[in-house]
Amino acid sequence: MPERPLARQFPTALVFALRNQARNRLAWILLAAFVPAWYGLMAALIPHDPLTYRLFSSGRLLRVDGRHLGLVTAGMNSLTLIVGFAVFAAIRRALPLDRRLVFAGYRQSLLVGAKALATAVVAVVVALYATVVLLAFWRPAAAGFAAVFAAFALMALEYGALGLLLGVLVKGDLEGFFLIIMGGLTDTFLQNPVGNPVANKPILQWFPSFGPMQFAGGGAFGGGPSWLGLGLGLAWAAAFAALALVVFQRRTRSRRHAHTSAGEPSSASRLTSAA
Amino acid sequence: MKSTIAARGVEKSFGRRPVLRGVDLEVPAGALVAVVGENGAGKSTLLKILAGTLAADAGGVELHGTLGYCPQEPVLNGALTVGQHLRYFAAAYRLSSLDRAEELLDALHFGGYRDRPVEELSGGTRQKLNLTLALVHDPAVLLLDEPYQGFDWETYLRFWELVDGLRERGRSVVVITHLVFEEERFDRLYRLREGRIDA
Repeated sequence: MPERPLARQFPTALVFALRNQARNRLAWILLAAFVPAWYGLMAALIPHDPLTYRLFSSGRLLRVDGRHLGLVTAGMNSLTLIVGFAVFAAIRRALPLDRRLVFAGYRQSLLVGAKALATAVVAVVVALYATVVLLAFWRPAAAGFAAVFAAFALMALEYGALGLLLGVLVKGDLEGFFLIIMGGLTDTFLQNPVGNPVANKPILQWFPSFGPMQFAGGGAFGGGPSWLGLGLGLAWAAAFAALALVVFQRRTRSRRHAHTSAGEPSSASRLTSAA
Repeated sequence: MKSTIAARGVEKSFGRRPVLRGVDLEVPAGALVAVVGENGAGKSTLLKILAGTLAADAGGVELHGTLGYCPQEPVLNGALTVGQHLRYFAAAYRLSSLDRAEELLDALHFGGYRDRPVEELSGGTRQKLNLTLALVHDPAVLLLDEPYQGFDWETYLRFWELVDGLRERGRSVVVITHLVFEEERFDRLYRLREGRIDA
Protein backbone atom coordinates (compact mmCIF):
# COMPACT_ATOMS: atom_id res chain seq x y z
CA MET A 1 0.00 0.00 0.00
CA PRO A 2 1.45 3.43 -0.88
CA GLU A 3 2.65 5.32 2.16
CA ARG A 4 1.99 8.82 3.28
CA PRO A 5 4.90 10.77 4.67
CA LEU A 6 5.58 10.69 8.35
CA ALA A 7 4.87 14.43 8.41
CA ARG A 8 1.11 13.70 8.29
CA GLN A 9 1.31 12.41 11.84
CA PHE A 10 1.90 15.78 13.46
CA PRO A 11 -1.08 17.74 12.03
CA THR A 12 -3.40 14.77 12.57
CA ALA A 13 -2.36 14.47 16.22
CA LEU A 14 -2.63 18.25 16.69
CA VAL A 15 -6.22 18.39 15.41
CA PHE A 16 -7.31 15.52 17.65
CA ALA A 17 -5.46 16.89 20.68
CA LEU A 18 -7.23 20.26 20.29
CA ARG A 19 -10.54 18.50 19.81
CA ASN A 20 -9.98 16.50 22.98
CA GLN A 21 -9.27 19.68 24.93
CA ALA A 22 -12.31 21.46 23.54
CA ARG A 23 -14.67 18.67 24.57
CA ASN A 24 -14.13 19.21 28.29
CA ARG A 25 -17.54 20.62 29.34
CA LEU A 26 -16.56 21.19 32.95
CA ALA A 27 -13.63 23.36 31.85
CA TRP A 28 -16.00 25.49 29.73
CA ILE A 29 -18.35 25.93 32.69
CA LEU A 30 -15.45 26.88 34.97
CA LEU A 31 -14.29 29.44 32.40
CA ALA A 32 -17.72 30.97 32.03
CA ALA A 33 -18.68 31.00 35.72
CA PHE A 34 -15.65 30.60 37.95
CA VAL A 35 -13.35 33.21 36.38
CA PRO A 36 -15.75 36.19 36.64
CA ALA A 37 -17.07 34.98 40.02
CA TRP A 38 -13.54 34.74 41.45
CA TYR A 39 -12.64 38.22 40.17
CA GLY A 40 -15.91 39.56 41.58
CA LEU A 41 -15.23 38.06 45.00
CA MET A 42 -11.71 39.51 45.09
CA ALA A 43 -12.94 42.93 43.98
CA ALA A 44 -15.61 42.85 46.70
CA LEU A 45 -13.31 41.67 49.50
CA ILE A 46 -9.99 43.44 48.93
CA PRO A 47 -9.84 47.21 49.50
CA HIS A 48 -7.77 49.66 47.42
CA ASP A 49 -5.18 49.94 50.23
CA PRO A 50 -1.60 50.38 49.02
CA LEU A 51 0.73 47.39 49.35
CA THR A 52 4.45 46.92 48.96
CA TYR A 53 5.46 44.60 46.16
CA ARG A 54 9.08 43.65 45.55
CA LEU A 55 10.39 43.51 42.00
CA PHE A 56 13.30 41.11 42.31
CA SER A 57 14.96 41.84 38.95
CA SER A 58 15.70 45.46 39.95
CA GLY A 59 15.33 45.18 43.70
CA ARG A 60 12.73 47.97 43.64
CA LEU A 61 9.84 48.08 46.07
CA LEU A 62 6.65 49.14 44.29
CA ARG A 63 3.61 50.74 45.94
CA VAL A 64 0.67 48.99 44.36
CA ASP A 65 -3.12 49.03 44.70
CA GLY A 66 -3.95 45.97 46.84
CA ARG A 67 -7.19 45.25 44.97
CA HIS A 68 -5.50 45.35 41.58
CA LEU A 69 -2.76 43.02 42.74
CA GLY A 70 -5.40 40.74 44.28
CA LEU A 71 -7.24 40.63 40.94
CA VAL A 72 -4.06 39.67 39.07
CA THR A 73 -3.42 36.89 41.62
CA ALA A 74 -7.03 35.72 41.30
CA GLY A 75 -6.67 35.51 37.52
CA MET A 76 -3.45 33.53 37.86
CA ASN A 77 -5.07 31.26 40.41
CA SER A 78 -8.06 30.46 38.20
CA LEU A 79 -5.73 29.80 35.25
CA THR A 80 -3.66 27.28 37.21
CA LEU A 81 -6.81 25.37 38.13
CA ILE A 82 -8.66 25.47 34.82
CA VAL A 83 -5.77 24.99 32.39
CA GLY A 84 -4.04 22.45 34.63
CA PHE A 85 -7.24 20.47 35.09
CA ALA A 86 -8.36 20.61 31.43
CA VAL A 87 -4.98 19.53 30.06
CA PHE A 88 -4.53 16.82 32.70
CA ALA A 89 -7.98 15.35 32.04
CA ALA A 90 -7.56 15.34 28.26
CA ILE A 91 -4.09 13.79 28.37
CA ARG A 92 -5.11 11.07 30.81
CA ARG A 93 -8.25 10.17 28.90
CA ALA A 94 -6.28 9.77 25.68
CA LEU A 95 -3.34 7.82 27.12
CA PRO A 96 -4.52 4.21 26.47
CA LEU A 97 -5.27 5.04 22.84
CA ASP A 98 -1.96 6.90 22.53
CA ARG A 99 -0.16 3.77 23.65
CA ARG A 100 -1.97 1.83 20.96
CA LEU A 101 -1.17 4.50 18.34
CA VAL A 102 2.53 4.39 19.20
CA PHE A 103 2.43 0.64 18.96
CA ALA A 104 0.83 1.00 15.52
CA GLY A 105 3.69 3.21 14.38
CA TYR A 106 3.00 6.73 15.60
CA ARG A 107 6.22 8.48 16.46
CA GLN A 108 6.14 9.31 20.17
CA SER A 109 7.86 12.67 19.79
CA LEU A 110 5.31 13.79 17.17
CA LEU A 111 2.38 12.66 19.28
CA VAL A 112 3.57 14.34 22.46
CA GLY A 113 4.84 17.37 20.50
CA ALA A 114 1.37 17.86 19.05
CA LYS A 115 -0.10 17.61 22.54
CA ALA A 116 2.36 20.19 23.83
CA LEU A 117 1.47 22.60 21.00
CA ALA A 118 -2.25 22.04 21.62
CA THR A 119 -1.61 22.78 25.31
CA ALA A 120 0.16 26.03 24.37
CA VAL A 121 -2.74 27.08 22.13
CA VAL A 122 -5.26 26.35 24.88
CA ALA A 123 -3.10 28.21 27.43
CA VAL A 124 -2.83 31.36 25.34
CA VAL A 125 -6.53 31.43 24.38
CA VAL A 126 -7.69 30.89 27.97
CA ALA A 127 -5.20 33.49 29.22
CA LEU A 128 -6.57 36.03 26.71
CA TYR A 129 -10.09 35.30 27.92
CA ALA A 130 -9.09 35.73 31.58
CA THR A 131 -7.39 39.05 30.75
CA VAL A 132 -10.41 40.36 28.86
CA VAL A 133 -12.76 39.42 31.72
CA LEU A 134 -10.40 41.25 34.10
CA LEU A 135 -11.25 44.50 32.25
CA ALA A 136 -14.70 44.41 33.83
CA PHE A 137 -13.05 44.94 37.24
CA TRP A 138 -9.94 46.96 36.46
CA ARG A 139 -8.83 48.97 33.42
CA PRO A 140 -5.03 49.08 33.33
CA ALA A 141 -3.24 51.10 30.61
CA ALA A 142 -2.50 49.33 27.31
CA ALA A 143 1.03 48.38 28.38
CA GLY A 144 -0.31 47.05 31.68
CA PHE A 145 -2.97 45.04 29.87
CA ALA A 146 -0.33 43.55 27.57
CA ALA A 147 1.90 42.68 30.55
CA VAL A 148 -0.95 41.02 32.43
CA PHE A 149 -1.95 39.04 29.32
CA ALA A 150 1.64 37.90 28.78
CA ALA A 151 1.97 36.94 32.45
CA PHE A 152 -1.37 35.07 32.38
CA ALA A 153 -0.26 33.23 29.22
CA LEU A 154 3.02 32.34 30.92
CA MET A 155 1.21 31.04 34.00
CA ALA A 156 -1.24 29.05 31.87
CA LEU A 157 1.68 27.58 29.91
CA GLU A 158 3.37 26.46 33.12
CA TYR A 159 0.29 24.78 34.53
CA GLY A 160 -0.72 23.40 31.13
CA ALA A 161 2.72 21.77 30.93
CA LEU A 162 2.27 20.51 34.52
CA GLY A 163 -1.10 19.04 33.48
CA LEU A 164 0.67 17.36 30.55
CA LEU A 165 3.28 15.90 32.89
CA LEU A 166 0.80 14.70 35.52
CA GLY A 167 -1.47 13.35 32.76
CA VAL A 168 1.21 10.91 31.61
CA LEU A 169 2.67 10.32 35.09
CA VAL A 170 0.09 9.74 37.82
CA LYS A 171 -1.95 6.57 38.13
CA GLY A 172 -5.31 7.97 39.22
CA ASP A 173 -7.51 10.98 38.47
CA LEU A 174 -7.69 12.04 42.11
CA GLU A 175 -3.93 12.31 42.60
CA GLY A 176 -3.66 14.50 39.53
CA PHE A 177 -6.52 16.80 40.48
CA PHE A 178 -5.26 17.09 44.04
CA LEU A 179 -1.72 17.96 42.95
CA ILE A 180 -2.94 20.60 40.49
CA ILE A 181 -5.42 22.20 42.89
CA MET A 182 -3.14 22.22 45.94
CA GLY A 183 -0.08 23.17 43.91
CA GLY A 184 -1.84 26.04 42.16
CA LEU A 185 -3.47 27.38 45.34
CA THR A 186 -0.28 27.28 47.40
CA ASP A 187 1.87 28.64 44.63
CA THR A 188 -0.29 31.68 43.81
CA PHE A 189 -1.16 32.43 47.45
CA LEU A 190 2.50 32.69 48.40
CA GLN A 191 3.22 35.30 45.73
CA ASN A 192 0.46 37.61 46.89
CA PRO A 193 1.31 40.16 49.59
CA VAL A 194 -2.37 40.55 50.52
CA GLY A 195 -2.42 39.11 54.03
CA ASN A 196 0.63 36.94 53.38
CA PRO A 197 3.75 37.61 55.46
CA VAL A 198 5.95 35.39 53.23
CA ALA A 199 5.39 37.53 50.14
CA ASN A 200 8.41 39.48 48.91
CA LYS A 201 10.82 36.95 50.45
CA PRO A 202 13.59 35.49 48.26
CA ILE A 203 12.32 31.91 48.75
CA LEU A 204 9.45 32.73 46.38
CA GLN A 205 11.86 32.62 43.48
CA TRP A 206 11.76 28.83 43.63
CA PHE A 207 8.04 28.59 42.87
CA PRO A 208 6.52 28.33 39.36
CA SER A 209 4.26 31.38 39.71
CA PHE A 210 7.17 33.65 40.65
CA GLY A 211 8.10 34.41 37.03
CA PRO A 212 4.61 35.29 35.80
CA MET A 213 3.84 37.34 38.95
CA GLN A 214 7.04 39.33 38.60
CA PHE A 215 6.34 39.94 34.93
CA ALA A 216 2.79 41.09 35.65
CA GLY A 217 3.88 43.17 38.65
CA GLY A 218 6.63 45.00 36.81
CA GLY A 219 4.60 45.54 33.66
CA ALA A 220 1.28 46.53 35.19
CA PHE A 221 2.39 48.54 38.26
CA GLY A 222 5.46 50.38 36.91
CA GLY A 223 9.09 49.38 37.01
CA GLY A 224 9.12 47.78 33.56
CA PRO A 225 8.57 44.15 32.60
CA SER A 226 10.75 41.60 34.34
CA TRP A 227 12.54 39.67 31.60
CA LEU A 228 14.01 37.44 34.29
CA GLY A 229 10.45 36.57 35.28
CA LEU A 230 9.57 35.78 31.67
CA GLY A 231 12.62 33.54 31.31
CA LEU A 232 11.91 31.71 34.56
CA GLY A 233 8.30 31.10 33.58
CA LEU A 234 9.30 29.72 30.19
CA ALA A 235 11.96 27.55 31.83
CA TRP A 236 9.39 26.01 34.20
CA ALA A 237 7.01 25.30 31.30
CA ALA A 238 9.82 23.82 29.19
CA ALA A 239 11.04 21.66 32.09
CA PHE A 240 7.55 20.25 32.78
CA ALA A 241 7.02 19.57 29.06
CA ALA A 242 10.44 17.91 28.66
CA LEU A 243 9.77 15.67 31.67
CA ALA A 244 6.36 14.82 30.20
CA LEU A 245 8.08 13.79 26.96
CA VAL A 246 10.49 11.49 28.82
CA VAL A 247 7.72 9.86 30.87
CA PHE A 248 5.50 9.52 27.78
CA GLN A 249 8.36 7.83 25.88
CA ARG A 250 8.82 5.34 28.71
CA ARG A 251 5.15 4.61 29.23
CA THR A 252 4.29 4.05 25.58
CA ARG A 253 7.37 2.20 24.36
CA SER A 254 7.09 -1.09 22.56
CA ARG A 255 8.77 -4.09 24.16
CA ARG A 256 9.60 -5.61 20.82
CA HIS A 257 13.34 -5.44 20.35
CA ALA A 258 13.22 -4.14 16.80
CA HIS A 259 13.72 -1.04 14.75
CA THR A 260 10.38 -1.45 13.02
CA SER A 261 6.88 -0.70 14.18
CA ALA A 262 3.79 -2.83 13.80
CA GLY A 263 2.77 -0.81 10.79
CA GLU A 264 5.97 -1.10 8.86
CA PRO A 265 7.01 -4.01 6.74
CA SER A 266 9.91 -5.80 8.33
CA SER A 267 11.93 -8.84 7.50
CA ALA A 268 12.06 -10.09 11.04
CA SER A 269 11.90 -8.55 14.46
CA ARG A 270 12.81 -10.33 17.58
CA LEU A 271 12.01 -10.07 21.22
CA THR A 272 14.53 -11.63 23.49
CA SER A 273 14.27 -11.78 27.23
CA ALA A 274 14.02 -8.42 28.93
CA ALA A 275 17.25 -6.73 29.86
CA MET B 1 5.65 -23.81 5.84
CA LYS B 2 7.36 -20.62 6.96
CA SER B 3 6.07 -19.22 10.23
CA THR B 4 4.93 -15.61 10.56
CA ILE B 5 5.27 -15.47 14.32
CA ALA B 6 6.89 -17.88 16.75
CA ALA B 7 7.50 -17.93 20.49
CA ARG B 8 10.36 -19.90 22.03
CA GLY B 9 10.68 -20.69 25.71
CA VAL B 10 8.70 -17.63 26.82
CA GLU B 11 8.63 -17.15 30.59
CA LYS B 12 6.89 -14.47 32.61
CA SER B 13 6.25 -13.96 36.32
CA PHE B 14 4.35 -11.26 38.15
CA GLY B 15 6.12 -10.85 41.46
CA ARG B 16 6.71 -14.38 42.70
CA ARG B 17 3.83 -15.82 40.73
CA PRO B 18 4.96 -17.52 37.52
CA VAL B 19 2.38 -17.10 34.77
CA LEU B 20 4.21 -18.51 31.75
CA ARG B 21 6.78 -21.29 32.34
CA GLY B 22 8.40 -21.75 28.94
CA VAL B 23 5.87 -21.44 26.14
CA ASP B 24 6.68 -22.52 22.57
CA LEU B 25 4.30 -21.66 19.78
CA GLU B 26 4.50 -21.37 16.02
CA VAL B 27 2.06 -19.85 13.56
CA PRO B 28 2.51 -20.77 9.87
CA ALA B 29 1.56 -18.28 7.15
CA GLY B 30 -2.14 -18.43 6.35
CA ALA B 31 -2.95 -20.46 9.46
CA LEU B 32 -5.70 -19.90 11.98
CA VAL B 33 -4.43 -20.78 15.44
CA ALA B 34 -6.26 -20.82 18.76
CA VAL B 35 -4.73 -20.52 22.19
CA VAL B 36 -7.25 -21.76 24.73
CA GLY B 37 -7.17 -21.99 28.46
CA GLU B 38 -9.16 -21.28 31.58
CA ASN B 39 -9.44 -17.85 33.16
CA GLY B 40 -6.09 -16.88 34.61
CA ALA B 41 -4.13 -19.43 32.55
CA GLY B 42 -1.90 -16.66 31.16
CA LYS B 43 -3.49 -16.33 27.71
CA SER B 44 -3.63 -12.55 27.63
CA THR B 45 -0.10 -12.32 29.06
CA LEU B 46 1.14 -14.56 26.26
CA LEU B 47 -0.67 -12.49 23.63
CA LYS B 48 0.76 -9.23 25.02
CA ILE B 49 4.25 -10.71 24.84
CA LEU B 50 3.59 -11.88 21.26
CA ALA B 51 2.31 -8.39 20.44
CA GLY B 52 5.30 -6.70 22.06
CA THR B 53 3.34 -4.64 24.58
CA LEU B 54 4.80 -6.67 27.49
CA ALA B 55 8.38 -7.86 27.95
CA ALA B 56 9.11 -11.53 28.63
CA ASP B 57 11.41 -12.53 31.51
CA ALA B 58 13.06 -15.17 29.34
CA GLY B 59 12.67 -16.61 25.87
CA GLY B 60 11.93 -14.80 22.64
CA VAL B 61 9.41 -14.00 19.93
CA GLU B 62 10.21 -13.84 16.26
CA LEU B 63 7.95 -11.94 13.89
CA HIS B 64 8.09 -11.89 10.10
CA GLY B 65 6.04 -9.11 8.56
CA THR B 66 3.56 -6.65 10.01
CA LEU B 67 1.43 -7.23 13.06
CA GLY B 68 -2.09 -6.27 14.11
CA TYR B 69 -3.11 -6.58 17.75
CA CYS B 70 -6.68 -6.41 18.99
CA PRO B 71 -6.80 -6.14 22.82
CA GLN B 72 -9.60 -7.78 24.79
CA GLU B 73 -11.07 -4.50 26.10
CA PRO B 74 -11.63 -1.96 23.32
CA VAL B 75 -8.90 0.68 23.52
CA LEU B 76 -10.56 3.75 22.02
CA ASN B 77 -11.15 7.43 22.77
CA GLY B 78 -14.79 8.13 23.65
CA ALA B 79 -14.60 11.71 22.36
CA LEU B 80 -13.53 10.74 18.83
CA THR B 81 -15.84 9.40 16.12
CA VAL B 82 -15.34 6.11 14.26
CA GLY B 83 -14.07 8.02 11.21
CA GLN B 84 -11.62 10.02 13.31
CA HIS B 85 -10.22 6.82 14.81
CA LEU B 86 -9.68 5.50 11.30
CA ARG B 87 -7.86 8.67 10.21
CA TYR B 88 -5.74 8.60 13.37
CA PHE B 89 -4.66 5.01 12.71
CA ALA B 90 -4.13 5.66 9.00
CA ALA B 91 -1.59 8.28 10.11
CA ALA B 92 -0.06 5.84 12.61
CA TYR B 93 0.34 3.09 10.01
CA ARG B 94 1.31 5.73 7.41
CA LEU B 95 -1.38 4.68 4.95
CA SER B 96 -2.24 6.84 1.97
CA SER B 97 -5.84 5.69 1.72
CA LEU B 98 -8.65 4.39 3.88
CA ASP B 99 -9.81 1.86 1.28
CA ARG B 100 -9.11 -1.13 3.50
CA ALA B 101 -10.88 0.58 6.41
CA GLU B 102 -13.95 1.14 4.20
CA GLU B 103 -13.94 -2.55 3.24
CA LEU B 104 -13.84 -3.49 6.92
CA LEU B 105 -16.68 -1.11 7.81
CA ASP B 106 -18.75 -2.82 5.11
CA ALA B 107 -17.68 -6.33 6.08
CA LEU B 108 -18.62 -5.76 9.73
CA HIS B 109 -21.70 -3.66 8.85
CA PHE B 110 -21.02 -0.53 10.86
CA GLY B 111 -20.38 2.08 8.16
CA GLY B 112 -23.49 3.94 9.38
CA TYR B 113 -21.71 4.82 12.61
CA ARG B 114 -18.81 6.62 10.89
CA ASP B 115 -19.70 10.05 12.31
CA ARG B 116 -20.77 8.91 15.77
CA PRO B 117 -18.50 9.47 18.77
CA VAL B 118 -17.39 6.23 20.38
CA GLU B 119 -19.00 7.12 23.73
CA GLU B 120 -22.41 6.81 22.01
CA LEU B 121 -21.74 3.35 20.57
CA SER B 122 -22.87 -0.04 21.94
CA GLY B 123 -20.30 -2.49 23.30
CA GLY B 124 -20.56 -4.66 20.18
CA THR B 125 -19.95 -1.74 17.81
CA ARG B 126 -16.95 -0.63 19.90
CA GLN B 127 -15.58 -4.13 19.59
CA LYS B 128 -16.00 -3.95 15.80
CA LEU B 129 -14.01 -0.72 15.73
CA ASN B 130 -11.42 -2.23 18.07
CA LEU B 131 -10.98 -5.09 15.60
CA THR B 132 -10.95 -2.78 12.57
CA LEU B 133 -8.11 -0.69 14.02
CA ALA B 134 -5.96 -3.82 14.23
CA LEU B 135 -6.68 -4.64 10.58
CA VAL B 136 -6.60 -1.38 8.56
CA HIS B 137 -2.96 -1.87 7.54
CA ASP B 138 -3.62 -5.44 6.34
CA PRO B 139 -1.08 -7.08 8.69
CA ALA B 140 0.66 -10.38 8.02
CA VAL B 141 -0.27 -11.60 11.52
CA LEU B 142 -3.38 -10.71 13.45
CA LEU B 143 -3.49 -11.32 17.22
CA LEU B 144 -7.00 -11.35 18.69
CA ASP B 145 -7.78 -11.49 22.41
CA GLU B 146 -11.32 -12.85 22.95
CA PRO B 147 -12.41 -11.10 19.75
CA TYR B 148 -16.08 -12.02 19.56
CA GLN B 149 -17.17 -11.02 23.05
CA GLY B 150 -20.19 -8.76 22.66
CA PHE B 151 -20.87 -9.79 19.06
CA ASP B 152 -24.38 -10.88 18.14
CA TRP B 153 -24.80 -14.05 16.07
CA GLU B 154 -24.84 -12.26 12.72
CA THR B 155 -21.66 -10.33 13.56
CA TYR B 156 -20.05 -13.55 14.80
CA LEU B 157 -20.66 -15.10 11.37
CA ARG B 158 -19.36 -11.97 9.60
CA PHE B 159 -16.27 -12.12 11.77
CA TRP B 160 -15.51 -15.65 10.56
CA GLU B 161 -16.10 -14.63 6.94
CA LEU B 162 -13.53 -11.88 7.47
CA VAL B 163 -11.05 -14.32 9.02
CA ASP B 164 -11.54 -16.76 6.11
CA GLY B 165 -10.80 -13.92 3.69
CA LEU B 166 -7.58 -13.11 5.57
CA ARG B 167 -6.39 -16.72 5.44
CA GLU B 168 -7.09 -16.98 1.74
CA ARG B 169 -4.68 -14.10 1.26
CA GLY B 170 -1.99 -15.82 3.31
CA ARG B 171 -2.51 -13.84 6.52
CA SER B 172 -2.13 -15.61 9.86
CA VAL B 173 -4.64 -15.23 12.66
CA VAL B 174 -4.11 -16.08 16.34
CA VAL B 175 -7.24 -16.16 18.48
CA ILE B 176 -7.05 -16.32 22.26
CA THR B 177 -10.19 -17.51 23.94
CA HIS B 178 -11.42 -19.34 27.02
CA LEU B 179 -14.12 -21.10 25.00
CA VAL B 180 -13.83 -22.77 21.62
CA PHE B 181 -17.21 -23.49 20.06
CA GLU B 182 -16.01 -24.84 16.75
CA GLU B 183 -12.65 -26.56 17.01
CA GLU B 184 -12.78 -27.66 13.36
CA ARG B 185 -12.35 -24.02 12.25
CA PHE B 186 -8.78 -23.93 13.54
CA ASP B 187 -5.63 -25.28 11.92
CA ARG B 188 -3.89 -25.58 15.28
CA LEU B 189 -5.08 -25.52 18.86
CA TYR B 190 -2.69 -24.74 21.70
CA ARG B 191 -3.97 -25.44 25.20
CA LEU B 192 -2.39 -23.30 27.86
CA ARG B 193 -2.43 -24.91 31.30
CA GLU B 194 -0.48 -23.75 34.34
CA GLY B 195 1.82 -21.64 32.22
CA ARG B 196 2.71 -24.36 29.73
CA ILE B 197 1.36 -25.45 26.37
CA ASP B 198 -0.19 -28.94 26.21
CA ALA B 199 0.34 -30.25 22.71
